[in-house]
Amino acid sequence: MKKILSLIVILTLIVAIWHFLPALSKNKAFKIGHFYIEHAIKDTGASNVVTSIVLNFRGFDTLGEVTVLFLASLGVGFLFSGNTKNYKPEIQPSLILRVSSRLLFPLFIMFGAYIFIHGHLTPGGGFQGGSIIASAVLFLYLGSKDKKLPGHFIEYLESLSGLGFIGIGFAGILASNIFLNNFMPKGIVYTLFSAGIIPVIYIIIGIKVGLELSKIVADLIKGEENV
Amino acid sequence: MFKMYIYFIASFGLFLIGLYAVLSKKNLIKVILGLSLMETGVNLFLISLGYVNGGTAPIFERALSPSKMVDPVPQALVLTSIVIGVSVTALALSLCVKLHEKTGTLDLTKIRSLKW
Amino acid sequence: MVNINILPLYLILIPLTFAFLSLLFNKLSKALGVLAPVLNLLIIYKLSYIFFQSKASIIVNLGGWKPPFCINLVIAPLSLFLAFLISLIALASSIYSIGYIHDKLSYKYYSLFLLLITGATGSVLTGDIFNLFVFFEILCISSYILVAYEKNKDSYEAAIKYLVQGSLGSTLMLLGIAILYGLYGTLNMADLANHITGINSIYLKTALALLISGFGVEAAIFPLNTWLPDAHPAAPSSISAMLSGVAIKVGVYAIFRVVFTIFGHNTLFLPLLALGIFTLITGELSAYKQDNLKRLLAYSSTGQIGLIVIALSIGSNESITAGLYQILSHALAKSLLFLSAGYFLYKYKTLAISKLKGLGRSNILVFSSMIIAIFSLLGIPPMIGFYSKFSILMSLFSSPVPALYAIVISIILMTGVEAAYFLRLIGSMGTNDISYEQNISQKSTSDWLMIIPIITLAILIIIAGFYPHMIQTVLGNAADNLFYKNNYVFRVLGGY
Repeated sequence: MKKILSLIVILTLIVAIWHFLPALSKNKAFKIGHFYIEHAIKDTGASNVVTSIVLNFRGFDTLGEVTVLFLASLGVGFLFSGNTKNYKPEIQPSLILRVSSRLLFPLFIMFGAYIFIHGHLTPGGGFQGGSIIASAVLFLYLGSKDKKLPGHFIEYLESLSGLGFIGIGFAGILASNIFLNNFMPKGIVYTLFSAGIIPVIYIIIGIKVGLELSKIVADLIKGEENV
Repeated sequence: MFKMYIYFIASFGLFLIGLYAVLSKKNLIKVILGLSLMETGVNLFLISLGYVNGGTAPIFERALSPSKMVDPVPQALVLTSIVIGVSVTALALSLCVKLHEKTGTLDLTKIRSLKW
Repeated sequence: MVNINILPLYLILIPLTFAFLSLLFNKLSKALGVLAPVLNLLIIYKLSYIFFQSKASIIVNLGGWKPPFCINLVIAPLSLFLAFLISLIALASSIYSIGYIHDKLSYKYYSLFLLLITGATGSVLTGDIFNLFVFFEILCISSYILVAYEKNKDSYEAAIKYLVQGSLGSTLMLLGIAILYGLYGTLNMADLANHITGINSIYLKTALALLISGFGVEAAIFPLNTWLPDAHPAAPSSISAMLSGVAIKVGVYAIFRVVFTIFGHNTLFLPLLALGIFTLITGELSAYKQDNLKRLLAYSSTGQIGLIVIALSIGSNESITAGLYQILSHALAKSLLFLSAGYFLYKYKTLAISKLKGLGRSNILVFSSMIIAIFSLLGIPPMIGFYSKFSILMSLFSSPVPALYAIVISIILMTGVEAAYFLRLIGSMGTNDISYEQNISQKSTSDWLMIIPIITLAILIIIAGFYPHMIQTVLGNAADNLFYKNNYVFRVLGGY
């Protein structure tokens, strides 16, 4: 009964969307996109336009997004605190997995760090680099399930990085009365030390996202022992 | 022009498959999977709105001058939206784990202790 | 540092910073939880003082660019009023929480609570639709976790139901925002309002329907509110007060900001009027047969949201003022009732109305505050609820609404149903024959920490009933901001 009803709903929606599509494929006013492309290098000094939008023009959204990820890590940690069950792995990992996870773990971390440090020059940035660091931690867990992640220490680091982000924005207030203003020197374009506060914030975000996603992964695997 | 249709059909197709899973599946994990599919569909739709025919990635490079770049704004929006989707999925899955601990089942028709 | 252009930003930054700080300094989290709403109230006081002198909205452009190329905050009477309401109820709830939550990990509770305040304040202050989505998500996600705080079977079930419905709503919201961006290429609310001149094409209608459904899940409108009767009772009582008093009002605000300001619809909005009537009827009738005290209050919240939506969707200046008035009185009264329900749960470990017989006599302070709040909800003078319901009925009579008498009669009938179950509650709690022994216990400190916010809210309800004209003027200014789209556009874009 439920399946038939939902199939009817889906079919109605397919017919509706088919009539709906044509107008959206014409290219509409591209107004703010053009403004950002023109002003990206002049005003922010970052050659990756998406990074300059995320951290400079619409930086407040990034603050909200960092808060949402902080909420997720806090919530998962809270739900799994005081857990009494102990999840035992059924299959022992093979020799190749055990050895390669320990060998490749530092390389993964380095790759993730490379991505978020060069966020203003190449595609990527804090969130992407942070996810790679978290997948490195997951890879380590796949190799041997009795690793432990120091829960309290990670919480402190997370809050410190969050405060670091707000602190840099606040430093913009002290420097020129505008929140999240790009007040550091903009340097030479296309080099590593350019674009003012953008690489600094992306490094903070990269560390924070990496820690938070690793903590979520660790909590979901282990349960109580990480508190 | 035809390229845009492919993107729209793909994104709305994902959205509708996810919607079907949320509406008619009994297992809670499948419902959450459907929710994640719906969010992927909407993100794909949002990116494909910024498509320019023959455009390239919006990154300036040393030798190239900006000929035609795709719209960078939806890419920034989708970055935020993917992170929010991941957070909600992580929370939902951990709630499923705790619910399974307390009731021993993940069947939606059986988790109905709160009624009128 | 305390410039007029930066001060409103602190309303959002202070709770956010304190949320991060309470993970670093666990012992200070209770103090931080109380300090943040106090600082917010002080900032709002200073901002409204400045506002009285200059009478112009304050626009804060973040990042130093001009709108529509940046995110901006709009500080007008409406946003100040809603931010004031959020901070007031947050202050009452956080003082109450010190006496109510006795956990080892209570610093996580205060961190989540401060993030709830951040999300709510950010949603009402912002002027950019994608930023509204992000802060709305912060509000929703922190409330998902807080509903599951008690960690028993009921709260997990309520939390997962709330989460699935809420994220379905967010996906629909994002699709609506995507369609608006695809049509107009901009995300700023004032810029969108500038371009949209009428809801004529199918695309605008679809975007409007998607946005209303998306925000409607959080605002608890009729077919989308099945999560509410499970989630509000399952949360700890201080959080129920915040959810009923603040979170659903933010959802209603978001719907009407989209309808009135962005889409520029200045007259009667029939679909929302119909949905409001259904919400009112189903909410109040379902509340009648409840035995669980918090579930009764949750269904009553649904009904009152229906009344607020009816008032706001009539679309005249005085009806919007009446709707905002009803938001104020319902928030004060309903959070008081939830806090007192939590008090009885804490002391007597039960919420069944049949078991709470006669307990009103031994907790006379809390019981008399409950009576004041219930009389305010029913609309008995001289409480604030009388003036709000009266102005809703007056605004109904002076605008061209179809089936006018049917709506008025249904509102009065539903008030009668409300009176029936609330008076039954008061009668049962205040009876003289007590069926089991109860000790007139001493009040410990945590009891006093719970009683003081309850009494304060009751006193506020009475005091606000003495100044109806002043409140009406302030809310009239707030309604102007929602209703007159051109003023809003002009202030933000500065004559583009």
